[in-house]
Amino acid sequence: MLFILARASLVQHKARTILAVLGVAVAAAMLLDMVMLATGMRESFRELLLSRGFDIRLAPKGTLPFDTDAAIPSVDAITKVLRTNPDIREISPVLGASIHIQAANRDISGSVLGIDPTVQGDYELLSGQDVNQPDAIAVNDHLLNQIRARIGDTLSVATGYDPQTRTYSGQRKLVLTGRVRFLYGATDQSSAAVRRETLEAMRGDAVKDRASLFMIRVRKGADPDRVRDWIETYIPTVSAISISTAIAQVDQRLSYFRQLAFILGAVSLFVGFLLVTTLVTVSVNERSGEIAVMRAIGISRTHIIQQVVIEGVVISVVGALLGLGLGLGTARYLNSILSAFPGLPMAIDFFLFQPQAAWSALGLLVASGIAAGIYPAWRAGSLPISETLRREAIA
Amino acid sequence: MLFTLLGAFLLLQTQQTSPRTIAIDESLAARAKLKVGDTLTLLSRPGAEDFAVMTASPSGYTPGVAPAETVIVAAIVQRGADPSEVARGDLLVRMHLDQLQELSGYGDRVDRFAIATKPGARVGKLLDHINGVAFGFRAYRSRDIAVETSRTFQVVSRFHRAIGVITIVASSVFLLCIMVLKVEERRRDIAALRLMGISRATVVKSIIVEAALVSILGSVLGVALGYAVSLFVNWHYQALYRTPLAFSIVTPDIVGFAVLLSLLLGASAGVLASLRLVRTPPLVLLGR
Repeated sequence: MLFILARASLVQHKARTILAVLGVAVAAAMLLDMVMLATGMRESFRELLLSRGFDIRLAPKGTLPFDTDAAIPSVDAITKVLRTNPDIREISPVLGASIHIQAANRDISGSVLGIDPTVQGDYELLSGQDVNQPDAIAVNDHLLNQIRARIGDTLSVATGYDPQTRTYSGQRKLVLTGRVRFLYGATDQSSAAVRRETLEAMRGDAVKDRASLFMIRVRKGADPDRVRDWIETYIPTVSAISISTAIAQVDQRLSYFRQLAFILGAVSLFVGFLLVTTLVTVSVNERSGEIAVMRAIGISRTHIIQQVVIEGVVISVVGALLGLGLGLGTARYLNSILSAFPGLPMAIDFFLFQPQAAWSALGLLVASGIAAGIYPAWRAGSLPISETLRREAIA
Repeated sequence: MLFTLLGAFLLLQTQQTSPRTIAIDESLAARAKLKVGDTLTLLSRPGAEDFAVMTASPSGYTPGVAPAETVIVAAIVQRGADPSEVARGDLLVRMHLDQLQELSGYGDRVDRFAIATKPGARVGKLLDHINGVAFGFRAYRSRDIAVETSRTFQVVSRFHRAIGVITIVASSVFLLCIMVLKVEERRRDIAALRLMGISRATVVKSIIVEAALVSILGSVLGVALGYAVSLFVNWHYQALYRTPLAFSIVTPDIVGFAVLLSLLLGASAGVLASLRLVRTPPLVLLGR
């Protein structure tokens, strides 16, 4: 009965109901997008960091991994100290550098990682073989397209270019053995991987026994933050970054987007609330005579209040469901804009759909729909019956 | 003469032995609790330069001593409004060029030269000339470098534009809905006007004028609110990132666009809502 009356009231003024539902749908879409933006970025980054099971990264003191050209010296000595901690299961030192590949009389530059293929966590092999041999190199698709080479080809690779003499340094012939996808690489980044000792040999004494980054996997059940504290105590020349500290740093750098999401989300919720309140209030004002008659024939005040609140909730729920589809579409578009950030790993999504986020947005909207119906419902419930009937009769 | 020479010698000695000065930025001063006149030791790398001297011991590592320089903080400077530095959280020390070259072991090298040209100089020709004779470097226009380094902000700008479009769509629906409600609330007044012989066109025009007035009033309030929000945004983010960069600017163009758009949307909503009512017979509007 309650739903039939509420439906009849909404259907009576189709145009305004449709407009209100549309308004709530746009507000709901915006709210969903902002909830996705506020939580998705962090979750996406966490998933990326955990994707290969490494819990801690070590960078040169005071820096973030690959944020500067600084390197961590004494890799062997640091590795020995790390191995004394029983909670550390795996250690993967990584050395980063620039490379130049001469292909078809062109110089193509990119970045290269020197890794140990048995413990690396930077890329996944797509085809071919990993860099198991000292003269092996694996590249990503972007670089592969630039050099127009095939697996098995021999490449002339250099790690330095002297602008004074316009000559290459650290040059070596390497065999292209595999096609890889770098997990932390940007879409338009040309990257390659070789064995760390190969890269050290190519770059010479400058990087001997040095690493740009250590990736550390802790034993199952061990607390990565405790291990991180231990590392910072015993190896003062590095910054140890656990998943939680990395997320905190990313949060700090991208706080602008979280704040924007919070503000726009709150504005969307308020707009939706205002729209539903206005619509239901006007609807109640128009039907004051009808409500007075219902009260006069014995329909309880609670019943009237429930009916008005249901009207608000119906508009909010229908609008929210429409907004869900609209929000997913706009989130995809907005994500495509932000994914063009220079240097952003392609695996990072600013807008990540999580069922929990959708439920939160829907829950907030339904709550605001109920809240929006309270004032007009209270007005409808407290109309003086005889006076309202008399006013309506005169009108 | 002898005293003059002695004085000059002592001055030279003093200059050679007294620590040189540096300037630091506000963020570093705040974080490290530094003030003008403080003495610092600068190292180009954390711990030792030669890590071969590091020794593993049960208590961990004991870094060796790196080449260091003692300096005095002579000034605390505010950073320029450089968008590329915002949110990076870098700490900045300004040193004399030769001082940094010596400390970093960079020798007689620099990362880049900045060249100011005379007014009216033909920059394109100058660039061609420099690049023609250059040996090991390349010259670019500052404008071209700015375009390349501002890619991040182009992305943010595109994102803001997209959010702006969504906001405009939401506002349009909201405005249309409110205008429909407002006009429908007056169906009895409109019916009475029509029964008195007032023409449809006059009724529509009066509603459009009313809608336009409401839109302008709303726009004025919106501009005032927007200006206040803009001041808050600048105050908040300038304090957060310690930068004089303006994050939000309210320009006459933006105000004009907002007012015009609001007027257009309001008037359109008024037209749509009023046309619906004037096409309905007055007696139907009165519920007869």
